[in-house]
Amino acid sequence: MNSLTETKRRPTDWQGAEMQKRIAGRYAAERRFKAMGITAIVLSAGFLAFLLIVMVGNGFRGFTQTELPVEIDFPAVTSGASPSQFEGPNAEANLQVMGLREIVESSIEIQYGREGSDLFSPGAWTSVSAKILASPDIVRQKATVYLPVNSEIDVAYKDAGNPEAEQKVQALRDKFSTGFNWNFLSNSDATDPMQVGIWGAFKGSLITMIVTLLLAFPVGVLAALYLEEYAPKNRLTDLIEVSINNLAAVPSIIFGLLGLAVFLNFFGMPRSGALVGGLTLALMTMPVIVISGRNAVKSVPPSIREAALGIGASPLQVVFHHVLPLALPGILTGTIIGMARALGETAPLLMIGMRAFIATPPSGITDPATVLPVQIFLWSDEVDRGFVEKTSAAIIVLLLFLLIMNALAIYLRNRFETRW
Amino acid sequence: MTDSAKTGMTTESGTPKMTARNVDVFYGDKQAINNVSIDVNMDSVTAFIGPSGCGKSTFLRCMNRMNDTIPIARVTGEIKLEGEDIYSSKMDVVQLRARVGMVFQKPNPFPKSIYDNIAYGPRIHGLATGKEDLDEIVESSLQRAGLWGEVKDRLQDSGTALSGGQQQRLCIARAIAVDPEVILMDEPCSALDPIATAKIEELIHELRGKYAIVIVTHNMQQAARVSQKTAFFHLGTLVEYGETTDIFTNPREEKTRDYITGRYG
Ligand SMILES: Nc1ncnc2c1ncn2[C@@H]1O[C@H](COP(=O)(O)OP(=O)(O)O)[C@@H](O)[C@H]1O
Ligand SMILES: [Mg+2]
Repeated sequence: MNSLTETKRRPTDWQGAEMQKRIAGRYAAERRFKAMGITAIVLSAGFLAFLLIVMVGNGFRGFTQTELPVEIDFPAVTSGASPSQFEGPNAEANLQVMGLREIVESSIEIQYGREGSDLFSPGAWTSVSAKILASPDIVRQKATVYLPVNSEIDVAYKDAGNPEAEQKVQALRDKFSTGFNWNFLSNSDATDPMQVGIWGAFKGSLITMIVTLLLAFPVGVLAALYLEEYAPKNRLTDLIEVSINNLAAVPSIIFGLLGLAVFLNFFGMPRSGALVGGLTLALMTMPVIVISGRNAVKSVPPSIREAALGIGASPLQVVFHHVLPLALPGILTGTIIGMARALGETAPLLMIGMRAFIATPPSGITDPATVLPVQIFLWSDEVDRGFVEKTSAAIIVLLLFLLIMNALAIYLRNRFETRW
Repeated sequence: MTDSAKTGMTTESGTPKMTARNVDVFYGDKQAINNVSIDVNMDSVTAFIGPSGCGKSTFLRCMNRMNDTIPIARVTGEIKLEGEDIYSSKMDVVQLRARVGMVFQKPNPFPKSIYDNIAYGPRIHGLATGKEDLDEIVESSLQRAGLWGEVKDRLQDSGTALSGGQQQRLCIARAIAVDPEVILMDEPCSALDPIATAKIEELIHELRGKYAIVIVTHNMQQAARVSQKTAFFHLGTLVEYGETTDIFTNPREEKTRDYITGRYG
């Protein structure tokens, strides 16, 4: 019988032309696949590089401000104020009494003519105030301070502005200097683009993220642990699993509507606050944490559970002494991915009123606040051209925030990862 | 064939450590163990042999209620530890598993230090009065498992960094550390090389008498080497139970003879 089947089959010719063709075809397929892979990577790297270059290129200018020197003869204009007046708790009040704003404006008019004030940012005098508060000794001397110009001049100097501003810039060409815009990091939203800052929105994002994390992480992790380790496998838990998966795919604006209906209208929580923002984003983040948490818990080898049970660990001890620590790197990675998504979220926060004009940074979870992406959205809508580079600069801050969060995720994962 | 041979109840003097009577185990509708009765003694090592899938592991896992973790598993009949029914509602499963320790087929140390692997059990059961006491438990457990000499200088190294054979002895030491009465071993050498296997067998010899030991093995030479009593399972039933020398030299059942002479399996 064996010999019969053998005779029927032609012996394989491994060296034949047909075989050679097969081999050549296989090599060609591999080369094609490799080429496609490389193209895909180059393409996506290109897009990323383009994005970064454009953002950094535009945004970089948002961190600088154009300044003009103003000479202020402090002893003369303040009629001999002493530095000690500008120390301690009354310092700011004394500056007001002294009429610093008028002093600065008159100094400007002396040097730049009657229309000189039009060159400077309306809040320019606050830089002088900050300088005096930082080092009161300055009032003993005649000092030259560099004050930010207004946004038209700033745009005209850095880029192409309107013809009138361009003319003024031309006239003063070599007087300008560029300084780092510290105000951008320490101020909040303002109507004048020269005075806006990211601090308020940054703080709002931070507080919102903390609320989100405090709520979504414990609830998400406990839900994941319960579903994986305790819950019986039946129709109900299947339904819960499907619901959670669907929840993770719900468009974010719908969570915003939910937050509006539940937290604001039903529970009457304060509008525009980080509390409601955090709660809304927590609803959105929780399913992501539950799903990644369940996967992480599932990937803990059953042999570890058996080992612990086998020496008399209770189910609770098995979960909290063994399963959770081993699943933690995976849970953390999932959590940070979820948080990063929440950090970049705009739509649901617009629904709950976090789009207000926030000139003072929030100091608690119920204060009106805004967050970085909403701030970016608001600035991108402004007419004043000075906001363009501020928008890009805010995007850079947001991207840095994200980058730091991701770096943290990688660090935590490596720190807690167990090598088998 | 006498009835006592088939049921595996001890006829000699001395109360058995664990007794099983008319145990049936079902996985869903499928019966995996059919009416097994057996006694396990303190002074002898008991080996469970039989072809793959005959229910050795299933039965072993009934003896410390590890089968509770499988939702579809159902156990009927009676298993007693020192006269207490382990399936009664009064029995605390967690404590039972400390008293009836288990060593698994694949070494499964915790991904923690060697020290913490051993110390974990005593810690959760509150067996040590202090740090020194715990150190003492760790050392004596490792001594008993014949591992102390090899690891005493690196107790803080990860337990998973040891060789397979060392890991398995670490698992035995971990079971010993909670001061069990019975140790169940499910094919503890099947993942090990011959030298590591020899070490484990030697260890079983040393532990005999201190604990009631039950070992599942598919290796008949191993059963002959380490055990005093052997139980032969086939298709979920206990075919024959007796002195190991009798089972291997003079089996009463046809099936046993066929199996140990390698006619099937
Ligand atoms: N978790 C389980 N679920 C369903 N059936 C199982 C399970 N574990 C074992 N079985 C079945 O029970 C029988 C006995 O298995 P087992 O006790 O592992 O045999 P052995 O250890 O002797 O090789 C086998 O038929 C096996 O398929
Ligand atoms: Mg088995």
